[in-house]
Amino acid sequence: MSEPYVESPEWEDEAARHRVDEPIPTGPAEPGDTGLVQPTVPGALLEVDNVILRFGGVVALDQVNFALRQGEIFGLIGPNGAGKTTCFNAMTGVYRPTSGRIRFRGQVISGLKKHEITRLGIARTFQNIRLFPEMTALENVMVGADAHHKTSVLGALFRLPRHWREERQGRDLAMRLLEFVGIADRAGEVSRNLAYGEQRRLEIARALATNPTLLCLDEPAAGFNPAEKERLLGLIRQIRDQGVTVLLIEHDMRLVMGVCDRIVVLEFGKKIAEGAPAEVRDDPKVIAAYLGVPADVA
Amino acid sequence: MNIEQGAELAVVQYNDKNGKDCVTIKKFDSQGKPDVAPGLARQLVTDKKIIGIVGPPFSGESEAANPIFNDAGIPLITPSATRVSLSSHGWKVFHRAVANDGAQGPGAANYIKNVLKATKVFVADDQSAYGAGLADVVKSTLGSLVAGTDKTDADGKQTDFSATVNKIVQSGATAFFYGGYYQNAGLLRKQLTAANWKGTLVAGDGVDDPGYATAAGNDAAAGTIVTCPCSPASKAGGSFVGDYKTKWGVDAGTYSDVAYDAMNIFLKGIDGGNTTPDKMLSYINSVNYSGVANTYKFTSTGELDPSLIKVWAFKFGTDGKTAPDQEIPKS
Amino acid sequence: MNFVGLLHSLGPLSIAGLAQGAIYALFALGYTLVYGVLRLINFAHSEVFLMGAYAALNVWGLFSLNQNSATPATVVVIGLLMLGLVAAIIASGATALVVELVAYRPLRRRNAPPLAFLITAIGASLVISEATGVFTHRSITGVPPLIRPADVVTFGNLHITNLQVLIIVLALVMMFGLDRFINTTRLGRGIRAVAQNPDSAALMGVNKNRVISLVFLLGGLMAGVAAVMYVLKIGTVKFDAGFDLGIVAFTAAVLGGIGNLRGALLGGLLLGVVENYAAEVFGTEYRRVIVFVLLIGVLMFLPTGLLGESLGKARA
Ligand SMILES: Nc1ncnc2c1ncn2[C@@H]1O[C@H](COP(=O)(O)OP(=O)(O)OP(=O)(O)O)[C@@H](O)[C@H]1O
Ligand SMILES: [Mg+2]
Repeated sequence: MSEPYVESPEWEDEAARHRVDEPIPTGPAEPGDTGLVQPTVPGALLEVDNVILRFGGVVALDQVNFALRQGEIFGLIGPNGAGKTTCFNAMTGVYRPTSGRIRFRGQVISGLKKHEITRLGIARTFQNIRLFPEMTALENVMVGADAHHKTSVLGALFRLPRHWREERQGRDLAMRLLEFVGIADRAGEVSRNLAYGEQRRLEIARALATNPTLLCLDEPAAGFNPAEKERLLGLIRQIRDQGVTVLLIEHDMRLVMGVCDRIVVLEFGKKIAEGAPAEVRDDPKVIAAYLGVPADVA
Repeated sequence: MNIEQGAELAVVQYNDKNGKDCVTIKKFDSQGKPDVAPGLARQLVTDKKIIGIVGPPFSGESEAANPIFNDAGIPLITPSATRVSLSSHGWKVFHRAVANDGAQGPGAANYIKNVLKATKVFVADDQSAYGAGLADVVKSTLGSLVAGTDKTDADGKQTDFSATVNKIVQSGATAFFYGGYYQNAGLLRKQLTAANWKGTLVAGDGVDDPGYATAAGNDAAAGTIVTCPCSPASKAGGSFVGDYKTKWGVDAGTYSDVAYDAMNIFLKGIDGGNTTPDKMLSYINSVNYSGVANTYKFTSTGELDPSLIKVWAFKFGTDGKTAPDQEIPKS
Repeated sequence: MNFVGLLHSLGPLSIAGLAQGAIYALFALGYTLVYGVLRLINFAHSEVFLMGAYAALNVWGLFSLNQNSATPATVVVIGLLMLGLVAAIIASGATALVVELVAYRPLRRRNAPPLAFLITAIGASLVISEATGVFTHRSITGVPPLIRPADVVTFGNLHITNLQVLIIVLALVMMFGLDRFINTTRLGRGIRAVAQNPDSAALMGVNKNRVISLVFLLGGLMAGVAAVMYVLKIGTVKFDAGFDLGIVAFTAAVLGGIGNLRGALLGGLLLGVVENYAAEVFGTEYRRVIVFVLLIGVLMFLPTGLLGESLGKARA
């Protein structure tokens, strides 16, 4: 049997968003909303605009601001518990910010449902792998591809031509993505039986299948050996070269510095630095934040 | 209703004959409810003009009200309460002008043995007090004729009877007695017919309900025998059937003839000068009255004399209704 | 104890058990689908079934057919069966959707505790069955004899009737169709995705509420077919008809592994057959005793049922 699905604290159900009580910002705003705090950054793909997110007394995100440009690889780093994953959760609709806005292509997305945000073009992977354990690798990826398919219940029940066409397209796309991340030979294997590294890559393929404009990777290299990390680095660059903007959470400084165009550093929910890798690396506040913590383990 | 109108007819005829309103009938409507009856009973016993009661019609309310009548010493004759235990309470005022439920079991068994002349009989019941009680009597009366037995769940708790049906078919029985109620009996009949079993289903009065034919379908229901510790009112003697129709505009129903007789027993007692409850009681205890439905003679517990007990068989027709078949011969 | 009788009647008891078990199986799918996705036992599923049964009867009633009608010509019967199936599927599907929308969704939105769902489920079940009881005056409704049982196979004391064949084949076809749907279509993948990890599924673009509605709809669809099979086989309906059947079907789902489609099929068929065997050997009054002894026995060694629990595992 598969164990019953247990919600981890950082991954509560939709309804949990409403448990993050405190003043909830006004409901889903219409596209083009310019927000309250700052004017829209021109040309930005994603703007995190003065976002505060509290869990009871814990302030996980404290007035965080940053903006991603189309086509860049953007690093989100910081010590453990800094609020990086929480930031992803806020962006993908898992949590609703206590205050502040998140805009994607100018549209306010804080307050939308998870699947709606995904369909707008934000995809993600998980720090702790969250595949569909009893499905094959191929099927896992196809679930992502399905997001953009339209067959109705009746269409699927009666196997209308469109159903077949979409199934074939989804399967082809999924297969190409598995090839892309290098696990095509494992397509038919139930994902729970895949090796750890394969599962991580499968997560990336699954996220890509939703056809995202922005791909958020939460510690994709965790547990990788240097050779695997090297391969991942190449993969991330390739993804960017396909036109997908990448937001990367990663503890491995060498990897982050090597691949990112720009970086934001969080500590205790606050942004403490932002800029090109070289600038950030030399920032005294960043050095202080990481002090005493070996860079490649942190 | 049948009962009340039967009794009232007797009073009307009596008063007509005597040219004045010598006797009045007072009606107490307990709605058949055991919780309503005692209140009415207490009200009734305060009326000193009442010297006898035809009723109560139902067994449940009888259990509740009869102790009150017994304490007040007012004699009663029920034309229709058939629960066996009513005569076992030692109520000295109690009389029953019909057979009790206990007569149905032997009646059904006698029908199977003497009328159907079946040599292999399957017996099943629904494990209720009523159904199992009947089935046990049938089993012991039929003895070695019983080819197989089974027990089902109660009505509403079982709808698929394929195992029982299979047992009946495999047993080679030509008659099947079911102790239970109409819903299960109807489903059993339908499923037996579907399995091509052509024997006769015999059951107690719990199956005498239009729901039986609904469940089985009229075709399958046709031919089913149900017993009743009663005689059909349409077979009553004298001019009762016609008089009743003339007076009330409807056909005499079950037990209306018995109620008519019960009332006449009281009226005859009044004619004999028994105008107090005490005198009336001792008169009834020794009465030997020949009425339209039966002859009445009571045992010390208030039951009909065993030689007078009648059990009738009713048969479902292709219209889904029961019609009197015959009085069941005792041997 | 009549083991000789069992051996002698093994054929007829098995085939009758399979026909009854086929109804249990289709009925059980509704419990299993909903549980697989929501970890919720939809007690109102017995009334989803009930509505299907009454819908078929009402449609046939439009043609002035009742239990005393003659069996119409074969072509007409086929048409009537189709109509009955469609009506039952629509009524059952709609009932399931409404129950989900009215009874469960508001609770889900408020993140209610499991106990609230349980009580609401029982409440929804009672409301529908009691309301039906009031409307039907708690009386039995008869079913037109669309299919007069006739033997298609006779072998010794084994008689297989046309109706038994129809029921078993129809159930297998429905099961196969559902299995394919769940395992090979986009919507089926969505269902399995939500069953295995609801949050990941949502973040991969799966609309969870849609999937939940779909699951109730599919359960209703299967119950609608089961309802038509039931009325043809049993020949009556009453407002409480779903209750007992629901308990057995739920047991079948647990026996096979709740949340597991193939488990529901196996559990349903097995229960149908075991009931009949137990009735033959120990008497009909013991059949449920034996069924539950079997269930407890199985759960002792296989706590998640014969085929295990998850919807995803249905393919294994
Ligand atoms: N659902 C929650 N309820 C309460 N506190 C939470 C919840 N989710 C996160 N937090 C808290 O918010 C803070 C930020 O956590 P987060 O997971 O975002 O850190 P992180 O930067 O991703 O760290 P890591 O590098 O360890 O993954 C932590 O103090 C954490 O305990
Ligand atoms: Mg994290």
